[in-house]
Amino acid sequence: MIEVKGVTKIYGKKDNEFKALSDVSFTIPDGGSVAILGKSGSGKSTLMHVMSGLDKPQIGQIIIDGKNILKLKAKEIDKFRSRKMSFIFQSFFVQGNESCYNNVSLPLEIADVSPSRRRKRVEAALRAVELYDKKKAKAKELSGGQKQRLAVARAIVNSPQILFADEPTGNLDSITGRVIENLLFNYHKKFHVTLVLVTHDPELSERCDIQIHIKDGVIDEIKRKKV
Amino acid sequence: MKIRDIVIRSGRSLKQAKARTILTSLAIAVGAFTITLSLAAGAGGRAYTDQIVKSNTDAKELSVTKTQPKNQQGPQKYSPNLGSTALSSELGIQTVLTQDDILKISKVPNVDSVSPDYNPVIKYITRVSQDKYIASVSTFSPSVTLTYAAGSTNGDIANNEIILTEEYVGALGFKNAQDSIGKMVEIAADKLSAPVTAPETKIFLFKIKAVSSKSGLAFRSQRSLLISNTVAKTLYDYINQDTHSYNYFLGASVRVNSAENADSVKNTLTGMGYTAQTASDILGVVNTFINVLQGILLGFGALAILTSIFGIINTQYISVLERTQQIGLMKALGMRKRDVGRLFKIEAAWIGFLGGAIGSGLAYVVGTLANPLISKALDLGDIRLLIFNPISMVIVVVGLILVSVASGILPARKASKLNPIDALRTE
Ligand SMILES: Nc1ncnc2c1ncn2[C@@H]1O[C@H](COP(=O)(O)OP(=O)(O)OP(=O)(O)O)[C@@H](O)[C@H]1O
Ligand SMILES: [Mg+2]
Repeated sequence: MIEVKGVTKIYGKKDNEFKALSDVSFTIPDGGSVAILGKSGSGKSTLMHVMSGLDKPQIGQIIIDGKNILKLKAKEIDKFRSRKMSFIFQSFFVQGNESCYNNVSLPLEIADVSPSRRRKRVEAALRAVELYDKKKAKAKELSGGQKQRLAVARAIVNSPQILFADEPTGNLDSITGRVIENLLFNYHKKFHVTLVLVTHDPELSERCDIQIHIKDGVIDEIKRKKV
Repeated sequence: MKIRDIVIRSGRSLKQAKARTILTSLAIAVGAFTITLSLAAGAGGRAYTDQIVKSNTDAKELSVTKTQPKNQQGPQKYSPNLGSTALSSELGIQTVLTQDDILKISKVPNVDSVSPDYNPVIKYITRVSQDKYIASVSTFSPSVTLTYAAGSTNGDIANNEIILTEEYVGALGFKNAQDSIGKMVEIAADKLSAPVTAPETKIFLFKIKAVSSKSGLAFRSQRSLLISNTVAKTLYDYINQDTHSYNYFLGASVRVNSAENADSVKNTLTGMGYTAQTASDILGVVNTFINVLQGILLGFGALAILTSIFGIINTQYISVLERTQQIGLMKALGMRKRDVGRLFKIEAAWIGFLGGAIGSGLAYVVGTLANPLISKALDLGDIRLLIFNPISMVIVVVGLILVSVASGILPARKASKLNPIDALRTE
């Protein structure tokens, strides 16, 4: 379970202060899927960064599995991030000069997985996104959709508990976007992984259990799907 | 992240920027090349002088001169006592040893014998129906190792015997060195005190005992013809008697009864106002000279490395800037600050390793090829003047790796401090 309690994030100092999030609170059950919606500049990405410990809010708590991650030491947050969560970004952030294999293997190296166990898991992840035959190709040779599939493989290779995706289909055409969407939702269903999506796409948000609407850093509305 | 994985990843990212990596490491290679060569030259030089001194001197032998007056600024004031004991030589005015000094030295305990440096200046050497040649003559010493082209000595030579050098064999009309052994040569000397109007010249006859061959280990003076100490004195006496410098000597060699006593005799002589040098003193003087030269070369190497440090810092800063996104992603994936820093430090280490290996490898190849050429140019026979010590080469490479890592610290710190969110915002 992820609990967000009274989170306020302020950028800049004194005269230049800007409240990107103010007093945001909500909870997400384990294995849930959440869509964060809102206009550009409303604070969606900021919220996601705060929830993953990448950014520190001035006020509030982020409690994951009973632990307030904002109180953890840098080393422990890093460990937490490398073992329990994954990210997918709008602009892919795959390493063009590295092979697909080495792109996917990076999170496992960071998490100290031994080379022998890495191979199986990297290959399984590449198969899951249908890029196994591109294993040795450089990432920069891939198309946009393939790059995002590679990013998905990199995100699922360490079997995370929580998967964060910041507008994962934002840079893709609708058909390719649909492929990525399906990959994410299938993975979420199959492995009971918590999925946190930032999106503008109403259709995509429809598929989530919870929809959080943000407006100027404040929660406007939270919709929960009835089961 | 495991060091092994970091090393592999940093190696790959260097490979992706091949030109930049190689150019940066070439700067270090220049330093490594200079340093490796100067170390080799120093080692070779010291080994060479060590060999020379060992084969030309004897631990039982001291070379003695009168201690020269110190703090002498400008010309020395005349004094009646000084006039007779100072001799002008190529080195300027030098206080000399007199017969009294020789006597005093010979009475020092543990001194076996004292023989002044005679070095008689002869007029010419020749042989029946051959041309006349000028030559320098000095005293044969059993402790000096000689190599012979023909003939040999059994530790000493008789008073009517001479050792020729190879150059005189052909000049004096012998077919070869072997052919000359046992034949007679004539040495002519002028009596210096004879009046100009009635010059006196005397011919001395010598039988050729042996022919010494050129050796890279010989002192220059050993290029001269060698005769026994006794006959050297005879020649010296004939030439110099009744001149004002007769029986004043620039130096003398003192034989001590055992090598262990050499130092104590040296101290006694120093106390008596003489300067005595043992074989190891002479070696020390020559080695100081070599060390200074080596130090200068090393300085150039160090300068090259100092410049390359800025090269590494610059390259690594650019690398950090170029890879901002990558660093951000790695940190978002939970890579620790320490490991991000290591990634860049190890990259710098790779650059240092490459530069060090290229530079000292090249120095080794060049030095190995140049060794015979240098020996030929300096007439050293089969002596090698550049000695490459694998251990010092390893130390050079390891040292350069450390220097590179140190230069990589600032860029690495910049990388490790990068805020992942800022990094990921850059499109
Ligand atoms: N480092 C920062 N310093 C100052 N202001 C910032 C910083 N990061 C974000 N902001 C501001 O915080 C607000 C929220 O930004 P955020 O990136 O969360 O928006 P968003 O909802 O993700 O928008 P988009 O849909 O365009 O991605 C914006 O007004 C932005 O200008
Ligand atoms: Mg955003």
